[in-house]
Amino acid sequence: LSLWAVAVLLVALLCLDPHSRVSSAPICTHGPSGCHVPSLADLFDRVIQHSARMHSLSNDLHSEFEQYFLPSKNSIGKIYRKCHTSSILTPNGKENAQKLAREELTEVILKLLMAWRDPLFQLHQSMAHQQDFNSFSSNKALEMGDMAHELRKGVEKVAEKMRVLGMLGNSVTGLSAAETMLPISDSGEAMSNYELLYCFRRDSNKVQNYLKILKCRIVPEHDC
Amino acid sequence: MRNSGAVLILSFIAKLISQAAGVSAPGKPRLTSCRSPEKETFTCWWEPGDDGGLPTTYALYYHLENSETIYECPDYRTAGDNSCFFNKNDTSLWVNYNITVVATNALGKNISDPVEVDVAYIVQPNTPENVTAVVVDEDQGPFVRVSWEKPRTADTRSGWITLQYQLRVKQKKDKEWEEYDAGMQKYYNVFSLHPDKEFMVQVRCKPDHGFWSEWTQTTYVKMPDYIPRERSLWIMITIFSVFIVLILTWTLNVKRNSVKLCLLPPVPGPKIKGFDKQLLKSGKSEEVFNSLVIQGFPPTIDYDDLLVEYLEVYDNEEQELVLDSKDLSEDCMKSKSPSDCDSGRGSCDSRTLLLEKCMVGREGSRSDQHQYSQHGETSWASTESSECQGLEPGSPEFSDGRVKTWPVVFSSPQPHHHYQVEAVKPVYHSVPEILNHSSPHAMPANYQNLQHQDIPQQEGRFGKPACRHSQSYTHGLDTPAPGVSPSRSLEYVEVQRINPENMLLLRPLSDQNREPEGSDYAGEDYSKVKELTSNNILLLQRDTSYQCADGYSQAGQCTTQQPPHPCKPVIYQSHSGMPQEGMRVMGNGYVDTTVLMPSY
Repeated sequence: LSLWAVAVLLVALLCLDPHSRVSSAPICTHGPSGCHVPSLADLFDRVIQHSARMHSLSNDLHSEFEQYFLPSKNSIGKIYRKCHTSSILTPNGKENAQKLAREELTEVILKLLMAWRDPLFQLHQSMAHQQDFNSFSSNKALEMGDMAHELRKGVEKVAEKMRVLGMLGNSVTGLSAAETMLPISDSGEAMSNYELLYCFRRDSNKVQNYLKILKCRIVPEHDC
Repeated sequence: MRNSGAVLILSFIAKLISQAAGVSAPGKPRLTSCRSPEKETFTCWWEPGDDGGLPTTYALYYHLENSETIYECPDYRTAGDNSCFFNKNDTSLWVNYNITVVATNALGKNISDPVEVDVAYIVQPNTPENVTAVVVDEDQGPFVRVSWEKPRTADTRSGWITLQYQLRVKQKKDKEWEEYDAGMQKYYNVFSLHPDKEFMVQVRCKPDHGFWSEWTQTTYVKMPDYIPRERSLWIMITIFSVFIVLILTWTLNVKRNSVKLCLLPPVPGPKIKGFDKQLLKSGKSEEVFNSLVIQGFPPTIDYDDLLVEYLEVYDNEEQELVLDSKDLSEDCMKSKSPSDCDSGRGSCDSRTLLLEKCMVGREGSRSDQHQYSQHGETSWASTESSECQGLEPGSPEFSDGRVKTWPVVFSSPQPHHHYQVEAVKPVYHSVPEILNHSSPHAMPANYQNLQHQDIPQQEGRFGKPACRHSQSYTHGLDTPAPGVSPSRSLEYVEVQRINPENMLLLRPLSDQNREPEGSDYAGEDYSKVKELTSNNILLLQRDTSYQCADGYSQAGQCTTQQPPHPCKPVIYQSHSGMPQEGMRVMGNGYVDTTVLMPSY
């Protein structure tokens, strides 16, 4: 028996790749001393990945909606209401986005994410209560809401980091509580789930794009 | 009124005329697709309907979502016929465009269905550019490195668009392409291409949310002729297998013996008593086989002598236990042994519980119904007569209702000396069984109705250690077991009555000193049970038995037949009806009524 154990050990050693060892990183409490602090580029990468996932979730939910609840695309009967975030001025083109300063761009991103905190929660609630949706969809909605929340936190961290590094001026104003908006359309009615999804899909796409622009502007090392 | 009426009539007539002439209003145009190559501009194409035979013009109108202002297409030329190009200024992202196309000719117009377009979601980039495929020669073998550039129009630099690439490779003759995903990098190494063959390579790209571009033009690359040398892999495999082989060899070596046992199981050698392999090998078959010969086999027993005179009746197990517990030595007590179930003899699973009791050392005579003589003789429910001497051979004539059951225990005519010297095992046979069997050979000579007996009921039944008596029966007359004196002080029991439960109740005969008076003496006292009828009647046979004075007059008759196994005595019945002298129940001497045949 021991012979077999020895044999197995030897084989394992042979096959082990010495380079694939995983080392653990200590928790950084005192800044850069001996600690691996994620760089701004890393932070940006993480945030962008996060926003990509969020957008893809919203895309999935939106197509599910269209597939099951709205049989015809491009139908004339489509009623578009204004998204509640339409009051936020967002650049609608590349030049416009590039014209914006970093601070403004960051602020726009944060505003958008903030504006969707409560509506996403409402969306999940209403989806969970309706019988039409299977639990998978309502779970997606919940996940989406969480992601938006985390993304906002992440972007705030990025902004903080940029401020620390002096890249960001102090003109970034904190979001005031008055900025929170309710997804009420012009007519005063609450928006339907489909409209919410439609608007959020668009807004998450905006966020992703703006983040990418910001990243390539600030840390253009790779992927740009 | 008159004017409108006139107009109507005129238009109607015009229509008729035009239809007659083959012209009509244009058919409905249809918007086929809108695409943006870089997310900054976009183009829409439409398909004209029937032009109605007249020159038709097309116009594209659009309006943004939630706005009523209608604009016309700014550029009909840049993108070609039947297209509308929206430049950067006119393109807004994340806004829905509601687009329609209107076809107009002399006779009328037609409006297409509106289409909603959000530019952010209709991005289809141009194809990648400058695809190059180069053969790179390395130690492991040559491979192809494909590299390309992003489409010129896509602005990935600012992060506005993120593209991912895909390439595909095949030989000219292949049907299927081999696809590879390159992610966001702009090169890819293709391995495992066959040597000396020409390959076609194509690349395309896609934005993170959008459509795949078209494939690029084919790039050709030729692999050089080389011999694949996957050396390192083979070296690894060789080392590994050598290692394994070494380990296996070592293990086998260590476990040599068990492997040998597994592969070559030992052939069981002959196990014949008295068989000497060496003799056989030496080639002297005579000697070998001589040693196998058993003297005295087959026993030339006169069947007459083997008449079973007596049917031994034993108590059943429980009673025996109860009764004998204090008499028997504990260590001799044996429970029923089921081992000899396949001898065909006796009844392993018969109702008769055979309790073998070791009678060795039983000294004290039993004053109770077991009647063991002071010499350790056991009284027999039957004329056990294991002792030839003690018994009158002869037909047991049962005149007064005493029933003698004969022990049927016949074993192979082995030297009887080894018949349970050490273990005198009485076998107890419950009466009911006996009564329910009938002997096929029985010739009812006497019919005894046991129920007439008025003998006071003995307690229970008798058990008797047959073995004890058997010991006395040997051809060679070995020393009987201690305690067993082959004297005539055998006690016999007589059947008192048959109780309602079909049990023979026996009691010992009082006079122990009865002298056998000859061959008929036994006949007086004992009768051979010829038959057990179904109605609980023992049919006894009156026959004349010759005396077995010395117990061994007949060669076979007096032999104590040893049961093959203590628990399997068989009822032995003589065919000729001759009484046998001492039938001895060997060992357990129990009567198995199921088998009525002589057994050796």
